[in-house]
Amino acid sequence: MEETLEKTDKTKPPSEEDVRILAFLCNWCSYAGADLAGVSRLQYPPNVVDIRVMCTGTISPYFILKAFQEGIDGVLIAGCHIGDCHYGKGNYMTAKRFRVIKDLLVGMGIDPRRLRLEWVSAAEGQKFQEVITTFTEQVKAAGKSPLTKARDKK
Amino acid sequence: MKDELVKAIKEALDTGKASAAVILTEKDGELMPRIITDAKDSALDSIYTGDRRYPMASFAMMLVPVIEGNLALPVRECDRRMLVELKKHNQVDTDRLVLLGIPCSQEVADACGCDHPFTANGISVSPATAKPAEPSPPPETVSEDSEERLAFWMDAFSRCTKCMGCRNVCPMCFCNDCALDNLDYVSVDSKPPDIPIFHLIRAIDMSDRCVDCGMCEAICPAEIPLRQLYRQARAIVKEAYGYEPGISDEKSPIEMLGEPAELAGMQEGSRTE
Repeated sequence: MEETLEKTDKTKPPSEEDVRILAFLCNWCSYAGADLAGVSRLQYPPNVVDIRVMCTGTISPYFILKAFQEGIDGVLIAGCHIGDCHYGKGNYMTAKRFRVIKDLLVGMGIDPRRLRLEWVSAAEGQKFQEVITTFTEQVKAAGKSPLTKARDKK
Repeated sequence: MKDELVKAIKEALDTGKASAAVILTEKDGELMPRIITDAKDSALDSIYTGDRRYPMASFAMMLVPVIEGNLALPVRECDRRMLVELKKHNQVDTDRLVLLGIPCSQEVADACGCDHPFTANGISVSPATAKPAEPSPPPETVSEDSEERLAFWMDAFSRCTKCMGCRNVCPMCFCNDCALDNLDYVSVDSKPPDIPIFHLIRAIDMSDRCVDCGMCEAICPAEIPLRQLYRQARAIVKEAYGYEPGISDEKSPIEMLGEPAELAGMQEGSRTE
C-alpha cells in the first residue's frame, strides 16, 4: 500500500507553474509506441497531454497555432518513420509543413525549443520515453510560454 | 495609356474575343468597378487608368463562372501573378480571360517596392518602362533578439480592429470556409482579435500563395506591417523549397500530397537562436 502511495506521489499531476506540453501522436506508430512505453512501465514526465490523430499529415498548422494561442508551452508531433506511413506519404507532408510553421513561429519570436517533430515507431517505447523526457527538459529550459504573458498584459 | 487601354477593350469587345469587360471608373474620388458588354458604352469615357490599384483578380473569380464568353480584364503584373496562382488552385479558368496588361509607372513601382513592375508576356497594351524598385533594406524592426521580435509583432497585432480588410481585399484568400470565421480558432467577442493566431493563420496560408502585391498593408487601417509578415513567410518557403508563388505553373510543394522531398533539416527548421 505504501509503495503505491509513493508511486502516486511521484507521478502527481503537474501544477500550474509547470510547463504544459501538447503531443500529437499518430495512431499507427507513435500512439502505439506510447502504449508500449506505458505497458513497459517506463516513467516519463506527466506534463504531456496527448492527442491521437490518424496520421500526422492531418495536423493542420492551425492546430499548432491554436495550441500556442491557448497557452501551451510546447508542441510535439510524433509520427511514423519516413517510409513507414500507414497512408504512404503522409509524414512527408508533415515534415514539409513543419519546417514552414516552425520557421514562421521562430521568426515571430517563439523559442525554437518549443516545437519538435519526431519519428517514433510502435516498437520504440524506449524512444518515446526519451523523447518526452528530453522535450520536457527543453521546454522547461525555455520556460512558460511568452504568449501567455503577452496576452495577459493585453 | 488611357487611349491604348480603351482601344484594346473596344477591340476585344468588337471582335468578339470577349463578351464583357471590367473597367474602373472614378466618381467623387472613389474607384468604381463597372462591367461593360458594349464597345459603345459611355462608361469607357470615364475610365480610370491612374496609379491606384484594385484587386482585379477577384473579378475574374466572380464573373467568369456567370458570364457567357470571355472576360476582358485590365491587369497589372501583380494581378496577372495572382491569376497564375488562382489557376493552380482551380479558382478561375484563365483560358476564358482576355488579359490587357497595364504597365506600371516608375512611381507606382517605387511606391509599391515592386521587384517586377511588368514582364510583358505579349499582353501589355503599351510598352513597359518601369524598372524594378530598389530592394528595400530589411526593416530595422527585425531584431535578432526573440523577445524583441515577439514584442514588436504583438504590439503591431494588438492594434488590429478585426476589420477583415486584409482578408477581403486579398484575391488569394478565396476559401469558402475561412478559418478566421471559425469560432474554434478566433472567438467573436474580443478586440483586438485573438492574437497572434488571427494574423498567423493568414501568414501560414500566404507562405505559398502571396504574390507580394501589398494591397493588404495599403488597406490596413491599423498600419500593421502585414507585407513584412507575409514576406517572412514567403522567404521560408523560398529558402526551403525554392518555390515562389505566381512565377510559373509549378504547384506549391507544401500542398502536394506526399511528394518525396529532401528532408534534411526539416525536423529542426532552418532558424535557430
